[in-house]
Amino acid sequence: MSDTATVTPAADAATDAVFAVRNLWKVFGPKAETVPGNAELTGLDPVELRERTGCTAAVRDVSFEVKKGEVFVVMGLSGSGKSTLVRCLTRLIEPTSGSVEIDGEDVLAMDKNRLRELRRHRASMVFQHFGLLPHRTVLDNVAYGLEIQGVARAERREKAMKVIEKVGLEGLEQRRPGQLSGGQQQRVGLARALAADPEVLLFDEPFSALDPLIRRDMQEEVVRLHREEGRTMVFITHDLSEALKLGDRIALMRDGRVVQLGTPEEIVGSPADEYVRDFVRDVPREQVMTCRSAMRPVDSDADEDTKGPAIAPDATVSEAIEAVARSGFPARVMDGARCLGVVDHEQLLGVVAGVTPKGAAGRGGPAAKAGPSIRKEVTGEVAS
Amino acid sequence: MATATASTPVRDTGIGALLRRRAVVKLLLLAVVAAVAVPILNAKWASGAWPEALTVDVSEPLTKASDWIIDNRDSHWLFTYFFGHISNAIVLSVRGVYLVLLAAGWAGVTVAAGAIAWRVAGLKLAALATAAFAACGLLGMWVPTMQTLALMVVAVLASVVLGMLLGLAAGLNDRIFRMMRPVLDTMQVLPAFAYLLPVVLVFGIGVPAAVLATVVYSAPPMARLTALGLRGADGGVMEAVASLGATARQRLLSARLPLARKELLLGLNQTIMMALSMAVIASVIGAGGLGDRVYQALSTVDVGQALAAGIPIVLLAVVLDRVTGAAGERLGAHAEDNSPLRGWRGWSIAAAVTLACALAARFADRLEWPTSWVVQIAEPVNTAKDWMVDHLYTGVPVVGGTADWAAHFTTYVLDPIRDGLQGLPWWSVLLIVAALAWVIGTWQTALTAVLAMAAIGVLDVWNASLDTLSQVLAGVAVTVVLGFAIGIAASRSKRLEALLRPVLDVFQTMPQFVYLIPVVALFGVGRAPAVAAAVVYALPAVIRITTQGLRQVSPAAMESAQSLGATSWQQLRQVQLPLARPALMLALNQGVVLVLAVVVIGGLVGGGGLGYDVLAGLARGDLATGLVGGIAIVCLGLMLDRVTQPTERRAKKGA
Amino acid sequence: MRVRTRVTAAVAGLGALVALSGCGKADMSKQASPYANAAGAKTVTLSVQSWVGAQADVAVAEYLLKEELGYRVDKVQIDEIPAWDALSQGRVDAIMEDWGHPDQEQRYIKDKKTIVPGGGIGVTGHIGWYVPTYFAKKHPDVTDWKNLNKYAKDFRTPESGGKGQLMDGSPSYVTNDKALVENLDLDYKVVFAGSEAAQITQIEQFAKQQKPFLTYWYKPQWLFKKVPMTEVKLPAYKEGCDADPAKIKCAYPHTPLQKFLNADFAKNGGKAAEFLKRFKWSEADQNEVSLMIADQKMSPEDAAKKWIDANEAKWRGWVPK
Repeated sequence: MSDTATVTPAADAATDAVFAVRNLWKVFGPKAETVPGNAELTGLDPVELRERTGCTAAVRDVSFEVKKGEVFVVMGLSGSGKSTLVRCLTRLIEPTSGSVEIDGEDVLAMDKNRLRELRRHRASMVFQHFGLLPHRTVLDNVAYGLEIQGVARAERREKAMKVIEKVGLEGLEQRRPGQLSGGQQQRVGLARALAADPEVLLFDEPFSALDPLIRRDMQEEVVRLHREEGRTMVFITHDLSEALKLGDRIALMRDGRVVQLGTPEEIVGSPADEYVRDFVRDVPREQVMTCRSAMRPVDSDADEDTKGPAIAPDATVSEAIEAVARSGFPARVMDGARCLGVVDHEQLLGVVAGVTPKGAAGRGGPAAKAGPSIRKEVTGEVAS
Repeated sequence: MATATASTPVRDTGIGALLRRRAVVKLLLLAVVAAVAVPILNAKWASGAWPEALTVDVSEPLTKASDWIIDNRDSHWLFTYFFGHISNAIVLSVRGVYLVLLAAGWAGVTVAAGAIAWRVAGLKLAALATAAFAACGLLGMWVPTMQTLALMVVAVLASVVLGMLLGLAAGLNDRIFRMMRPVLDTMQVLPAFAYLLPVVLVFGIGVPAAVLATVVYSAPPMARLTALGLRGADGGVMEAVASLGATARQRLLSARLPLARKELLLGLNQTIMMALSMAVIASVIGAGGLGDRVYQALSTVDVGQALAAGIPIVLLAVVLDRVTGAAGERLGAHAEDNSPLRGWRGWSIAAAVTLACALAARFADRLEWPTSWVVQIAEPVNTAKDWMVDHLYTGVPVVGGTADWAAHFTTYVLDPIRDGLQGLPWWSVLLIVAALAWVIGTWQTALTAVLAMAAIGVLDVWNASLDTLSQVLAGVAVTVVLGFAIGIAASRSKRLEALLRPVLDVFQTMPQFVYLIPVVALFGVGRAPAVAAAVVYALPAVIRITTQGLRQVSPAAMESAQSLGATSWQQLRQVQLPLARPALMLALNQGVVLVLAVVVIGGLVGGGGLGYDVLAGLARGDLATGLVGGIAIVCLGLMLDRVTQPTERRAKKGA
Repeated sequence: MRVRTRVTAAVAGLGALVALSGCGKADMSKQASPYANAAGAKTVTLSVQSWVGAQADVAVAEYLLKEELGYRVDKVQIDEIPAWDALSQGRVDAIMEDWGHPDQEQRYIKDKKTIVPGGGIGVTGHIGWYVPTYFAKKHPDVTDWKNLNKYAKDFRTPESGGKGQLMDGSPSYVTNDKALVENLDLDYKVVFAGSEAAQITQIEQFAKQQKPFLTYWYKPQWLFKKVPMTEVKLPAYKEGCDADPAKIKCAYPHTPLQKFLNADFAKNGGKAAEFLKRFKWSEADQNEVSLMIADQKMSPEDAAKKWIDANEAKWRGWVPK
């Protein structure tokens, strides 16, 4: 499929990028289509924009790529445009401008049939409020996607049963959605999305309507599914801990823009601006940050490369703390037999306290104060 | 004291004060307009009744049109190629259904009714349905019942198809919805009587006209509820369905329509009830069946016969309402149906039993209801009625007789109101209408109301309309007083409510026509019985809305009032009534609409006014008079609805 | 492509409709009632008018048609003038008793030729104004219209307000009363009871209380046997004095009541048509049956049977062999 992709500077990346979104805009309101191209208007903040044009820009100039097999989380508070963004991916909401590609194919250029194919086979969505058909049984709900594809009754039921088992709903297939708990309903929603065996799963705040305990179960379910199948997922959430828990990479949105895009560690460790910093302030950083970013170069004079507990570069800081506390020595960050660096009390405490000790490998401080142009650079760099 | 201080600020800052202030502004504006306009109007045309100069004589063109239609009905292409086919199709389908019903025989039909009710609504209603059909036979009304049923089946099917199509269009297209909604809303408040004449004009008296009038009358609720149901489909579900790649047709058929199934069933229920109501009234234009028996009996003041035909109507109404209602409730409930009879098995058993019974009756040569099984209730009822006439009509010590009441009501209530209205200068009537409508509603409703009232004047039926209006006003006053009183009592006593509920249920499902029977027995003929029938008809809806409105007052507000030590009277006056105000307004609105509906039918029992014009027009073949009367009824209905219409309106009609 | 299937479907549906309805003209003026002939028997549809005399005619005719000739009889209640239209369209086969409608006769018999006269029913009808005999005895001069104004106050009712009440029955009946009251300068108001039955109820109530009343009434009518009434003399009827309805100043004529048949039915109606043409009885006979129906509250069928059982000589000749 990659050979049909338009040749772009990033063409080498196209092979493993499922979704490629570039300069995407979604503006609601009168004459919305004039806003993205108007430099004067694009610079306005939301309030000014509404006063000037009566338009609301839900998604403004967003670019990112979703790589094959990753869990890509879009996070933001309500009204940040994240739900609009995910709907633009399959054109449930028609973007105003920009481009969306799936496996290198231009989604915005698709005709009705092609788009339907995309929705039927390549990208399925799980919704916050489940979106189940109340008049159908669980089985028929799960099989619904297959039914509209025209799959024969016996076959689709068989497939649906398999998926139902996979999400742990055996025995409930003859119930109706109204008879299920919220968590069970969302499992049905998940099963319905899985039944079509799509390339990408899109989640729109799937667990925010659930109780905390059930939410955790469901998150683990998603983690498990991802581990087992390695399916690409785009996950929308307003819950930072959920984002950090699930996301391979996180795009943090505010007022329609992506303010930072990076791994959980990058977001937590090097917030791009005050907003992000505020956002991640209460995160237990030691559980997100890895030793790789916290470590400092080895001081061979102090025999640090031989003494102290060995720890993997991807181990979290909290694991390192435990090791350091137990041994009393700085821990060695070992990549195989090679010692990449060490973490000692100072680094570890620095991570916990949220200050960057001298000599740490992480990027941080100056970028946070940088203006929008630099921020873009940051996101661009991470994306490529 | 505490409550007084607590409630005063609430009242002053609340909606009441705002409304009052806005109302004052509106009234002032209106007064200014009046001050300028009235002297001019008065100078140009006299005051008093609507000036002759401002009337338009429509009866001549209408008579010409009517004559033209009669002369060309068998030759003009419009009739032979269009209306003729419609008429033909209706006759054929009614006949087809009727023949099927007759072929099934009384046993087949009765068992079929029971079987369908069993599958749709459970055993209890199955028993009710079977008993109801058996009762129709017992009363000697089998054939008329089947005729009414045949007409109903065709009319309801046509209404449902038409209503669904309109509803689909309006449900899927905003523009159509915006255009159709006010029309449908308005059609729902118009009295059934107003629909009769236009169809008679084109189709002449007979079953086709009756079916069409029924369809026109009963399709709007279906269309309305279909549209509302489709529009109300859960956006999340629809989005999910779209996200799975459903085509537009799949979205509609597999999601949007099933999601609206509750509304669709409610629509079906309302359509059936309205169709029954109309099918009975349409006996005036040749519908035949049960309504015709009532009509014939009423015209000979044969209360016994009227009752014998009226009871099957009531039974039919109750059964149809309960069964369709229960079907709707079953949909809502999520009880798992694990009985071995669910789905096709139950249905096939039902079908088999029905078939067996029908065949058994056929081979036993018992297709027609056996004459020996007919219970003649007409005679005892008439004896009872005669006794009543002898003993209750007049001269009963202390309380007086029913006829005396009727005479007093006519002399001391109806006459003064009518004479008062007719004595008012015409422009002042318009002003009052404008003021009321504007204070309660918006300037649009006021404008519609005034225009409707002016149209009545232009059509030169001012006095007859005011006569009808006087009856409506008197009826509404009685209805509202009684309704609010009973409603308040029922809202405060669970026991009373429990007692009232089944009564109200039955009363609300009865077709308007049936109410005329007992009032004629009690009060004889004239305006008073017409008003009495209207009151009885409108009362259940008013009681129900009042009770619900009072019950729905936020418990928190009640609790806080209680905690402040308010007496129950204080609670009612200071908390419940003000908070239930929208419901009370709605009750008033419904009361007005329903009273009008029956007052015009009251023409059948000597009610006079517009209803009489319509009937006289029908009776004399003078369609011009009838049509003008019908249009005036529409205008009056519009005016009354708009005058009492608060900002929001009700989804369901009271009956 | 979907549009095309839709168009095809629409065309097919329309085609089916046209095919079903007979591919061409549909003359709605020749459609019988859907309930007619339901049991496969030969059926005659009779129009029943709302007054009891006509019910008596129909009841006897119905009974004989059923029992002697083996027809099935459908009855349709229609008011007088619409009944002409229905008769012309064939929704009704016969009207048994018509009190004279010149306009309709002109239109349907002379112009459209869809209705033919069926001969007289044997009864002469007369409409007039009546007061109860008990009142007339006390005040003999009330029977002259010139003195009516003197008694206006006696005839006052709640419905008539300050004037005397002249009670009319159904608006569909032949009546000139409004014009008469105006042209004769009477201090009266015409109040419609709404139907004949309503009027009878009121008359009976008045009679029970021995109250005075003035009513539009007609002969032959069984009620005279229960409530004796005396006619008020109006200015004498002369041929043509009722030509202009607005200027009428004279009494109602004496009308031989007529039967009318649908033209097709008269030609092809076989024995039923022949029977209905021959049907002719007397005022006394009609009253006998009427009284049984209206006063003794017998069902029309029983009343007819009773009369038929007792009067075979009278009806035998009507039945074609």
